[in-house]
Amino acid sequence: MGSTQGEDRKAIWTIGGGKGGSGKSFITTNIGICLSKLGVRVILIDADLGGANLHTFLGISPPPLSLSDFIKKRVPTLNDVLIPTSVPNLQLLSGAQDLLNAADAKNVQKQRLLRSIQKLEAEYILVDLGAGNSLSVLDFFLMSDGGILVVTPEPTSIENAYRFLKSAFYRRLRQLPISLDARNLVDEAMDSKNERGIQNPHDLIGAVRNVSEDDAMRVASEVGRFHPNLVLNQVRTKKDIEIGFSIRTACKKYFGIHLHYLGYIVYDQDVGNSIRKRRPLLLENPQSKAAQCVSDIASKLANSQPKTFRLE
Amino acid sequence: MSWKMKRIEEQTYYEILEVSPDATAKEIQRAYEHAKETFHTDSLAVYSLFSEEEVKRIQTVIEEAYRVLMDEALRKQYDESHFQAIESQKWEKSLEIEEAPREKRAPSLIFTDLSADTSEGEYRGKALKVIREKMGIDLKTISQETRINAKVLQWIEEEVVEKLPALVYLKGFLRAYAQSLGLDPQKVIEEYLTSVGQTKKVK
Repeated sequence: MGSTQGEDRKAIWTIGGGKGGSGKSFITTNIGICLSKLGVRVILIDADLGGANLHTFLGISPPPLSLSDFIKKRVPTLNDVLIPTSVPNLQLLSGAQDLLNAADAKNVQKQRLLRSIQKLEAEYILVDLGAGNSLSVLDFFLMSDGGILVVTPEPTSIENAYRFLKSAFYRRLRQLPISLDARNLVDEAMDSKNERGIQNPHDLIGAVRNVSEDDAMRVASEVGRFHPNLVLNQVRTKKDIEIGFSIRTACKKYFGIHLHYLGYIVYDQDVGNSIRKRRPLLLENPQSKAAQCVSDIASKLANSQPKTFRLE
Repeated sequence: MSWKMKRIEEQTYYEILEVSPDATAKEIQRAYEHAKETFHTDSLAVYSLFSEEEVKRIQTVIEEAYRVLMDEALRKQYDESHFQAIESQKWEKSLEIEEAPREKRAPSLIFTDLSADTSEGEYRGKALKVIREKMGIDLKTISQETRINAKVLQWIEEEVVEKLPALVYLKGFLRAYAQSLGLDPQKVIEEYLTSVGQTKKVK
């Protein structure tokens, strides 16, 4: 796909990670604020299906217009449901309050929404995802080549993040233009108790190679294009920080992918305080340690290359 | 071409420890400590991804890699017997060191060192391909570094004139491609365009 003309300056970042409470909405909000300070247009999208509350992180009451209105076609475009925030350059697309539960989201609706998001005019679009591995969440995550996983240094969070990454990884391979036989193998690989004994991406590529060398190449090169990012949240010790590097190494050895360790955010009482006050940390206490960490991550994102967009 | 999708058994000791083939003893030591910590039996980062047997196998390889690479004589012997795999890793690895400045990542090789076949003109697509292959770099790697679609790179190499992008983009692509091979971008652009222009007028 390469760098696409005209859309070069737009970057979409999707923020997910499997587990609820890992800090996705907090991070989305505050990174969004940092980026908006660059004087460019930033849009935050609350795609937490059924649990939308990004507005609360921004200190806004539940907005009258949300994604539901777009999905139910009460408004013609996504622009119609964009609402301003107290932060200059920062707009919010509030999550559906009622509809669009994972089970309800029809594929046609989802595709329309994904396409519309990619057409939004903004320099940066941050999409806050819900917890879990539903297909809707995965498809939103895969909208960007550089989805961001938010993980806390705890076994449950890491476990869920791997589960999420595995699901996203195979979902992505499934969308490739490969033969039906090869696709069936990808489906089998998703079931850890599959009869062929495919336990990891290496096994899968080996199995696909037996079907078609071309498909195996396609799968292998897609693996090389998958560049998720990692943010480790609520770290308390140096050892916690190092877990991020270990996760990166483990992903490299297991998936063959390069998980980019974007950074970590230290555990900070100020975070809880700011959330309780419904004031974003970056506005409430920009000097706090956690706010500094968020700024570092945001500046890395701002300096990274634009992401290509994947559209079916 | 298996590029990055290597099983543990297929990886060089350098890949096992995630260090570059010219890593110093200090760097190997640090990498070993990290690998050991990562694949520690109680490590939070691996237990839900790898089976116990896999972890044990990786632990064994890590120890072996460390033992060999920290011994000058053994390392030399290893390098000689794994020359090809290590050479190709030099390229893959250099792209992954995140903070490495671009200048450092560029190869020191220059065109004349490689005695590429230039009978058809200097930097024609074919010559670029020859240089790239001599360096042991695949198109995917170049594509990843330059963020140019591998298909487009292939068209550039094969001089599929009708598929080449508009001149302004082509120039940009050639520049990025040349830089990633450590060639003089200006020279590559001029000679390539002259060469292609003779075949068919570029848009």
